[in-house]
Amino acid sequence: MPRIGKQAVKGCLTLALPLIALAIIAEFFMPASYARLTALYLIYVSAVVGMQIYSGNSGIISFGHAGFMALGAYGSALLTIQTSLLSTSLPNLPQWLAAIAGGHSLWIGMLGALAVAGLVAVLFGLPLSRLSGSAASIATLGFLVIVHVTLVASADITRGSQTFFGIPRGVSAFVALPVALIAVALARIYRDTKGGLALRAAREDEIAARASGVNVTRERFIAWVLGGLASGAAGALLAHFLGAFSPKDFYFNLTFLLMSMLILGGMTTVSGAVGGTALIVVMVDLLRGLEGGSEVLGVALPQMFGLTDVGVGIVILIVMYRLRDGLFGLREVDERLFPEAKVTAIGAIEAPSAGKASLEVHGVGRRFAGLVALENVSFTVRPGLVTGLIGPNGAGKSTMINAISGVVPPSSGRVLLNGTDTAKIAPHKVPMRGLGRTFQNIRLFRNLSVLENVTVAADSVAQSGEDSRALAMAALNVVDLQDLAERPANSLPYGAQRRLEIARALALRPSFLLLDEPAAGMNPAETDALIAVLQKIRSDFGIGLLVVEHDLKLIMRLCDHIVVLNKGEMIAEGTPEEIRNNATVIEAYIGKRRAAA
Amino acid sequence: MKKNKLLLLSAAISALSTVPAMADDLVIGFATAQTGYLAPYDQPNLAGLQLKIDEINAAGGIAGKFPIKTIIKDTRTDSAQTALVAQELVDEGAQLIITPCDADPSIAAGMITQDAGIPAISFCATTPTLPLAVGDHMFSNYPADNVQATMLANHAIEQGYKTAYILTSPDTAYTLKLPQYFGQVFEAKGGTLLGEGTFTMGQQDFSAEVTKIAAMNPQPDVIMTAAYEPDFPAFIRQLRGAGVTAPIIGADAIDSPTTFSLGELAEGVVFSTAGHATEGSALEAFNAKWQEKTGNAPDTIYIANGYDLGNIIEAAVTAADSVEPAAIRDGIANLENLAGVTGPITFKGTNGMPLRSVALVRVKGGDRELVAQGLPEAADIPAP
Repeated sequence: MPRIGKQAVKGCLTLALPLIALAIIAEFFMPASYARLTALYLIYVSAVVGMQIYSGNSGIISFGHAGFMALGAYGSALLTIQTSLLSTSLPNLPQWLAAIAGGHSLWIGMLGALAVAGLVAVLFGLPLSRLSGSAASIATLGFLVIVHVTLVASADITRGSQTFFGIPRGVSAFVALPVALIAVALARIYRDTKGGLALRAAREDEIAARASGVNVTRERFIAWVLGGLASGAAGALLAHFLGAFSPKDFYFNLTFLLMSMLILGGMTTVSGAVGGTALIVVMVDLLRGLEGGSEVLGVALPQMFGLTDVGVGIVILIVMYRLRDGLFGLREVDERLFPEAKVTAIGAIEAPSAGKASLEVHGVGRRFAGLVALENVSFTVRPGLVTGLIGPNGAGKSTMINAISGVVPPSSGRVLLNGTDTAKIAPHKVPMRGLGRTFQNIRLFRNLSVLENVTVAADSVAQSGEDSRALAMAALNVVDLQDLAERPANSLPYGAQRRLEIARALALRPSFLLLDEPAAGMNPAETDALIAVLQKIRSDFGIGLLVVEHDLKLIMRLCDHIVVLNKGEMIAEGTPEEIRNNATVIEAYIGKRRAAA
Repeated sequence: MKKNKLLLLSAAISALSTVPAMADDLVIGFATAQTGYLAPYDQPNLAGLQLKIDEINAAGGIAGKFPIKTIIKDTRTDSAQTALVAQELVDEGAQLIITPCDADPSIAAGMITQDAGIPAISFCATTPTLPLAVGDHMFSNYPADNVQATMLANHAIEQGYKTAYILTSPDTAYTLKLPQYFGQVFEAKGGTLLGEGTFTMGQQDFSAEVTKIAAMNPQPDVIMTAAYEPDFPAFIRQLRGAGVTAPIIGADAIDSPTTFSLGELAEGVVFSTAGHATEGSALEAFNAKWQEKTGNAPDTIYIANGYDLGNIIEAAVTAADSVEPAAIRDGIANLENLAGVTGPITFKGTNGMPLRSVALVRVKGGDRELVAQGLPEAADIPAP
């Protein structure tokens, strides 16, 4: 069930009202050429918003959305072409297609466009969603090329590279408006849904998102399909706007036009998509008016064809130089104009299974191509206690953490988390089984707010009917960050960022917390604050903590039980007092000769 | 009537760039490419037409009473932009609209002008289906692909070629369909098509195709392609490099200075074009005039072609004795055997693609030699 928050409704209205007003003014009070320009603008808005749904939320630049437009255009065109033209312009149409082609209304055509774009989006989205970063970008470029070549080659259905004509025109601003409004609403609502927020988190940090229970592959897939549908609808509109087109109209030129609109406005927000499109369309039209040679305020300007492209290029350069996140930055217009009321913390963050939880490491070993990183390590992390995992560099601590959290499955042995072998389930499911974690190098969702950071995790475990934002606020209360909830995560001081990571892990309602060097880089005051927080978590929530730390003083102060690794083997286990006096441990840390002395 | 107020306002804004037209002015709107890949075709046409317009206006207008006013807007070789520009030109009162040298944008613009009842002429779109796609207000100013192909096939048969190989690119209708029309006529007249190869435009690597052709046994008597720059020079270089000596037939897009600068490589290549300046011909006179006005000899036939578009407009408006769009349309549609500088031009009885003579020229010693000129039999021309 998607979460349609008040903010999303405000956002839809903020963006929709200007578009509606624009369409009315253009259609009723402006000459036909401005009405057509407005219609074209609204078509571009649908297309760019489709791109924003995928690229903006996933952070993967897409070259593929012009491909969806092409699919939408041909899907709709085949259904709506004048039946009298079918036999001459498409004589070799396959029979099943000939039976349904031609003569339908624009809205039936639109359904066809959505069906084609949706089907292809699903097929291509399955492999694409597994890719991230530039690999995914290049895959979308491949998608565009595949669509283009396929359309050119399918001459029986598409007339190949020849012009496809004979489809009804009549896309006025009023026809394009509802499509644009639906696309904008879809994008704005999606952004704030559980899935949209999760995908934005994955954009900021994929590993941390998985550790917060986000199924990154699934969220990317959903955004790809939704974006494809919006762009496909825009393609159908463009086809009916033009009345005649061929595959080349939906290729690199259109791709780069859409990209410049999205990037100029700011790809992380729907406002950016709508605003960037407006800016480019207005710029192009203004410059075009000048380039034909004209007289402005009595000064005769020479003809300067090409001014449009140069001018738009310069504007993009200036905006990118001054505002790296685009004109609209990282926050939606509605989030700036009508900020949300403060969230009140409700709900408990105690692990449902606290008390009877178990985390057992059974004979875990791990080899990397001959190198033995871990060998037959067994220990138990008990709920309500702090277990320390220490060892010199190269002892295998990181491998142990990765094995426990299911990121790197052990070569032998197993890790049982509340009875589940963590190697047997997907990494993003481990957190939901009761294991929260923090990272050695802080991994926050840097451009999301403090509250959003924690909400991502709360979303993964919230029961239906539960407000995950309130739950997140409760987790922030524990680490004393409730007053900074609206701040972007990357603006927090270092110690607070560490605590935020802990709050995010806590919001998973874990029965165990895995803390990877939580005090690294902290000053003594920050370390003391951290210890207070951790002790509170242990006493108040009965969570079992596994702390990996270099700071032996901290370990001795904090831990109830300590496990020592050296060269992949467990060399000792016991209370801080026992470890402090263990000859093997001392030898491992400071060498044989000194230890003997 | 708020609408009128705003209309006035926006008219005032656009008046910044236009001078208001007089009652008897003929306003010609240009929705053509000043930039982008169509510019090399649209620009020489525009230059030629501009010369004719200047001559007409110097003489007081068409038939001495209809001066020509132009509104020129760049389409940036983009179909959506062409549609927008066409609408603007209609709004600004153009009575005749010129569209780019390509079917896509011409159809997009033509559908708007068709609805507005304004005639539109493409500078040099050669796709024979262009007027079919738009309607009775759409014309082109160039011999259609199927007409050119028929002339070329006739030439191949006359040369005694028995077998042919065609090289097409599905990337544009021109590079795909023109050789296929050639193949149709060639086979209809008793020739045998040995095969069809394809290439990707702009890739300039023909090694696979060339290897295939070189390995053919027997070799084709002739190879036909509508490839043009930069593909055509690359193709012919690689083909000759592989030792293939079969003669090559090309189409009008290679009528450019590049082809004549290829030296030995292009020697003997035959291609179609819109006209040839034989001694004493109108085209020779035009070329001399152009040289005199600009200081340069015209480097492409598109300049004379644009000038001929001016002749068409002049004749149509004179016949209509009016600048009403509907009258101009009828004037164009009824033109018959108009003496253009490139040869006689007829629209009467056609669907809007003119019957114009096609010249076949051979590259010889870096210059052109006329092979044939005229019009093919209507019955020979393949259906679009």
